[in-house]
Amino acid sequence: MDIGHLLIIAVASILVNNFVLSRFLGLCPYIGVSKQLDSAIGMGMAVIFVMTMASLSTWIIYTYLLAPATSIWKVDLTYLRTISFILVIAALVQLVEMVLQKLVPTLYRSLGIYLPLITTNCAVLGVTVLNIDKRFGFVESVVQGFTAGVGFTLALVLMAGIREKLDLADIPKPLQGIPIAFIVAGIMSIAFLGFSGLVTE
Amino acid sequence: MRVGKEFFKGLYQENPIFRLALGLCPTLAVTSSAANGLGMGLAATFVLVGSNFIISLVRKFIPKRIRIPCFIVVIATFVSLVEMVMQAYSPQLYKSLGIFVPLIVVNCIILGRAEAFASRNGVGLSLLDGLGMGAGFTLALLIIGTIRELLGAGKIFGHIILGSGYNPALLFILPPGAFLTIGLLMGLFNFMEERRKRG
Amino acid sequence: MKEVIKFGGLLLLITGVAAGLLAYVDSLTKPKIEEQKRSKQEEALSWVLPQAKDGVIIPHSLKGKVCYYLGYAHKDTTHLVGYAFLAKGTGFSSDIETMVGVDTSGVITGIRVLSQKETPGLGSRIVEAKPGETEPWFQRQFKGEKTGQVAVKEDGGEIISITGATISSRVVANSIKEGALHLKKLIEESKGK
Repeated sequence: MDIGHLLIIAVASILVNNFVLSRFLGLCPYIGVSKQLDSAIGMGMAVIFVMTMASLSTWIIYTYLLAPATSIWKVDLTYLRTISFILVIAALVQLVEMVLQKLVPTLYRSLGIYLPLITTNCAVLGVTVLNIDKRFGFVESVVQGFTAGVGFTLALVLMAGIREKLDLADIPKPLQGIPIAFIVAGIMSIAFLGFSGLVTE
Repeated sequence: MRVGKEFFKGLYQENPIFRLALGLCPTLAVTSSAANGLGMGLAATFVLVGSNFIISLVRKFIPKRIRIPCFIVVIATFVSLVEMVMQAYSPQLYKSLGIFVPLIVVNCIILGRAEAFASRNGVGLSLLDGLGMGAGFTLALLIIGTIRELLGAGKIFGHIILGSGYNPALLFILPPGAFLTIGLLMGLFNFMEERRKRG
Repeated sequence: MKEVIKFGGLLLLITGVAAGLLAYVDSLTKPKIEEQKRSKQEEALSWVLPQAKDGVIIPHSLKGKVCYYLGYAHKDTTHLVGYAFLAKGTGFSSDIETMVGVDTSGVITGIRVLSQKETPGLGSRIVEAKPGETEPWFQRQFKGEKTGQVAVKEDGGEIISITGATISSRVVANSIKEGALHLKKLIEESKGK
C-alpha cells in the first residue's frame, strides 16, 4: 500500500476537507460538547475510536455481505446499507459506553448524554458512507475513519479553547451560546479554507 | 386547541433548527440553494412523519431497554425507502443531496421526536407533531437556502434575481457562509424571542 | 441471559420485517433505476459523439467488459469518426464518472458527467446548466480540447474550474486525460493484433 497515498488521505481529512468545518459532519455534538476543553478531548477520543472501528466493520459488512460483486452470496443487498451501518454504529457506541463506565467513570459522567449521541453523530455514519462512495479499499477506509476522527477532534478542541475564553467576553445577549459558536465556527472555517491548496490530486 | 398547538409549535416556538438546534448537519450542507433546502426538507418530513406514525403505533410493544435501537431500525427503514424512491423518481435531487440522503437517519430531529413525543403519545398527535416539526425544519431550510443562494449567487431557485451587476459574495455558498448565516439567524430569533417576552 | 435473548430476538424480528419491506420496494424501484442508468448512458453516448448521430455507436469489449465505444458516420461501419469512453476519478466525496467522446485525432467532441455525489451547491455544479441552456457550462468547455493537454487553469490548462470546487473540477479534467491515454493504449494494442 502506497504510504504517500494514505498520507494524502490523512492530510485531506484533517485539514483540507475537515469533517466539521468543510463537510458539515458532526455538528450537533460539536456545538454541544465544545464548551469545555477536557470534555472536548474526551469526546474526541471516543469519536476517533468509534469512527475507526465503524469504518473497519462497515467496510467488511458491505464488501462481503452486501455488494453483489464481492459478497459471499452474490445477491445485491446494497439497499440494506443504511440500516446495517447504523445498527453497527449503535452497537459500537453501546460497547464504548459500557467500557468507559467501567474503566473511566469520571469521563463517562462528564460526557453525559453526548456519549450515546455519538450514534447520531453524522460524522460517524458519514465517514462510513463516504468510504463506500469513494470506493476505498480496506486500509484506505480505516485510515480515512481514523483521520476523519482526528480532524473532528481538532476542530472540537480548537472550538472548546475559544469558547472557554468567550465565556468571559462581553457578547450581546441574543448572540450568546449557540449563535456565537456558529459565528466562531464560520471564522474557523474560513481559516481552514486556506488549506485547500495543500492537496493536489 | 391542542391539535393546532401540536402542529404550529414546530414552526416557531420549537422550530427544530432555530430554537432547538437539532438537525444541524444537513442544514448547513444542503442550503447552498433554496431548491436543495426544499428537497431535503420534504424528504426529512416524510421520514419524520412515517417514523412518528409507526413508533407511536407500536409504542406499547417496544421494551424500554431496547427502544433506541428499535427507533433506529424504523427510521433507517424509512430513510432507505426515501433513498430508493428518490433515486428512481427524482434522480436530479438525489444527486444534488448526495450523502445527506442516507444521513437523514442520524438527523437528531427524527430520533429526538421519536423519543420525546411519538413513544409517549397517540398516533394522531404524533402525526401532527411530525408534520409540524417537519414543516418547521423545511421552512428553516428554505429561509437559509434562499439567503445563501441570493447572496452567494444572485439567484433564487435558479432564477437570476440580482442581475449581472451584482458580484456574488461567494463566501455564502461556501462552508463559512453557512455557519455565519445560521449563527446570525439564530441570534435574530433569540432577539425576537426576547422582545416578545418583554413586550 | 434470558433477557438478552428476548431483546435480541425482538430486535432481530423487527429488523427482519424492515429488511423484507426494503427488499420488496427495492425490487420495485430497481428496474426503473437500471433503466434510467441505461438510457442515460445511451443518451450520453449520442451526445458526446455528435459526428456519429446518423450512424452507429458500437461497444468494444475485452474479456467481457466494455472498454470503449466506436462511433461510425454511417450504419455500415465503414467510416470511423471517433471513440467514446468512460472516464472515472475519485472526487471530493464520490466517484465521478464521465462519458467522453473524441474524434480520431484525439480532440474532445463532447463530455457528459454521468454520476457524481459531490457537495451540493459546490462540486455538484459540474452538472449544472445555466437557465435556458441544456448543457452544463463546465462540461461545454471540454469540447475542442486535445485530450493530451486537458487540465484546469490551476494546473496550467484551459479549463475554468467551478469556484470553490477545484477538486471536483480537477478530477474531471485529469480523469479525462488519463482515460484518453488508456484508450490510446487499448486501441494500439488491438491494432497490433
